Amino acid sequence: MEFIIETSGLTKKFGKDTAVSGLNMKVPKGEVYGFLGPNGAGKTTTIRMLLGLMKPTSGTIHIFQKDLQKERISILKRVGSLVEQPSYYPHLTGYENLEAIRKILGVPEKRIAAVLELVGLSDAAHKKVKGYSLGMKQRLGIAASLLHDPELLILDEPTNGLDPSGMKEVRNLLKRLAEEEGKTIVISSHLLSEIDQVATTVGVLLKGKLIFQDSIAAMRKQAQQKIKLRVSDGEEAWRTLLSRGMKVDFKEGAVFLENASDEKAAEAVAVLVENGFAVYRVEEQKSSLEEIFLQMTKGERDK
Amino acid sequence: MLPILQSEWFKLRKAKIVSVLFTGPLAGFLLGFTIHGDVPEGVNPWHILLLFMNVIYALLFLPLMTGVLAGLICRYEHQAGGWKQLLTLPVTRGKVFTGKYIILMALVLFIQLLYLGAVYGVGWAKGFTEPFPLEIVWKSIFGGWIASFPLVALQLWMSILFKNFAAPLAVNAVFTLPAILAVQSERFGPYYPWGQPFLMMYIGGGDGVFFVPWEQLLLVVGGSFLVFFLGGYIYFQRKAV
Ligand SMILES: Nc1ncnc2c1ncn2[C@@H]1O[C@H](COP(=O)(O)OP(=O)(O)OP(=O)(O)O)[C@@H](O)[C@H]1O
Ligand SMILES: [Mg+2]
Repeated sequence: MEFIIETSGLTKKFGKDTAVSGLNMKVPKGEVYGFLGPNGAGKTTTIRMLLGLMKPTSGTIHIFQKDLQKERISILKRVGSLVEQPSYYPHLTGYENLEAIRKILGVPEKRIAAVLELVGLSDAAHKKVKGYSLGMKQRLGIAASLLHDPELLILDEPTNGLDPSGMKEVRNLLKRLAEEEGKTIVISSHLLSEIDQVATTVGVLLKGKLIFQDSIAAMRKQAQQKIKLRVSDGEEAWRTLLSRGMKVDFKEGAVFLENASDEKAAEAVAVLVENGFAVYRVEEQKSSLEEIFLQMTKGERDK
Repeated sequence: MLPILQSEWFKLRKAKIVSVLFTGPLAGFLLGFTIHGDVPEGVNPWHILLLFMNVIYALLFLPLMTGVLAGLICRYEHQAGGWKQLLTLPVTRGKVFTGKYIILMALVLFIQLLYLGAVYGVGWAKGFTEPFPLEIVWKSIFGGWIASFPLVALQLWMSILFKNFAAPLAVNAVFTLPAILAVQSERFGPYYPWGQPFLMMYIGGGDGVFFVPWEQLLLVVGGSFLVFFLGGYIYFQRKAV
C-alpha cells in the first residue's frame, strides 16, 4: 500500500510532559483518515509537526515519501491545511485573505471565486473577515486550504463552529474530494460521530499514543456483539445464567449476553427454557462506533 | 521571493499605513515652517533649516514611525493565527522574515524622500533664493536611510517577539527619547541604534561620502545591523507557531 503520510516514532515533549509519544502514523493514499482523540490527546500537536510548524523532539515524518525535514517546501506545495481555530487576517475581506495567499501559491485568480463558491461564501466575499461568524471563518479556512488544489488535505477540527447543516456540507465536500478527485484527507476530531460517515481509515490517539489504527470496517468489527434477552422475571433469569458461569448483565429489565457466539446464545436460551422462564425476544445488539470509541478511550484511561 | 513581497505589500497596504508614512515628514515640515531665526551672514539658510528640522524628524519621529511600521507588519500575523497560516504555505521562515524587512526598508526610503520634499517645500514657501544644496541633502537623506537599517531590524525582531502591538511601541518610545542625550556623547552616541539616523543626517558632520567616517559606518551601523538582523532571523526560525 502506498502511504501518503508515514511517521516513525514521532514524539513531542513540552518540558517534562510528553504530548505525542512514539507515533507510527500511516495514512494510505486516497483515504479519508479520521484522526480521533479526546481533548488534549495530542492531535493538534501532531498536525503542527506534520506541517513543519513545530519540530519533533524525536522521530521522522515522510509525506509523499519525502523527508519533511529536508523537503518541506516541495511537500507543502501539495498540501492544504487548517490548524486549530481558523486563521485569517481580520483587516482584509474574505476575498483579500485568499488573494494574499494566492500571491504566494501562484495560482490563477479565478481559483478564489471557485473555492469561495465551493464553501458557500460567495455572498460574504467582500466583507471584512473580522465581521464573519465563527462558522464563516472556518469556511474561509477550508477555502484557503483548497486554493492550490492540493493532493493532501490536513484539517484540524474543520467542522468546529459549524451548524449541523454546515457540518454536513463540509462532510459532503470532503467525501466528494476524496471519491471524485482522489485526494487524501486527514481530518481530526474528538467526536467519532462527526467523521464516521466520511472516514475510511481511523487512527485513535489517547494521551499522545496511537491506540488504534485501521480501517473503519475493522473498527466496526471490534464492536462487541451482545445478545439482548427479554424474558419473564429478568433478574431471576440473570442469576440463573450467572450461576452457570455465563457472562451476563442485567439492565433495564433485560438480560444481556456478552461476546455471544451462536452456541452461547443457544445454550443460554436452552438453560432459560429448562428453568421455566418464558423467552419473549432474542435480539442482537451492536454497539455503535461511538460506543466503541468511548470504550477504547475509556478503557485506556482507567488503566 | 517576489511572491512573498507582493503578498506582504498587499496585506500591509490595507492596514492604514498612509498616515504613518506622512507623520514624520509632516512634523518636520510644520516645525521648519513655523521656526523663525536669523540666518547669519554667509550661511546657506537651507543648512540652518535642515539642522532644525532634523532634530524633530531624525531624532524623534523617524525612529518612532519605523517602530510603528514594524509593529503593523507583524500585527495582522499575531491577531488571528496569521503566522500559522503563512508558515504552512510553501515558504521558508527566512524568506518571510527577509521579505518583511525589505518592505520596511523600502517604506523607510519612501519616508526619507517625503522628508526631502518637506525640506524643499519649507524653503520654497519661505522664498529661499539660495541654491538648494542638493549634494548635502542627498547625503543626509540616504545617510539617514542607511542608519535605520539596524534600528529597523531590531524593531522587526521585537515586533515578532511581542504578540501585543503596544509592547514593542512602548519599548521603542522608551529608547527613542534618551537619544537626544545619547547623540551628544561622543563615546556612546554612535553605538546607540536610536541615535544613528540623527547622527548620519546631521549635516555638521565630516565631509566623506556620508557625514560620519567610513569606519564608524561599517563598524557601528554595519555591525549592529548584522547583530539585530541575525538575532531576529534566528529567533524567527525557532519561534514555535
Ligand atoms: N505549546 C505548548 N506548550 C506546552 N504544552 C502544550 C503546547 N501545545 C500543546 N501542549 C500540551 O500538549 C497536549 C496535547 O495538546 P493538543 O493541543 O495537541 O491536543 P488536541 O488533541 O489537539 O486537543 P483538542 O481536542 O482539545 O484540540 C496537551 O496536554 C497540551 O497541554
Ligand atoms: Mg486540537
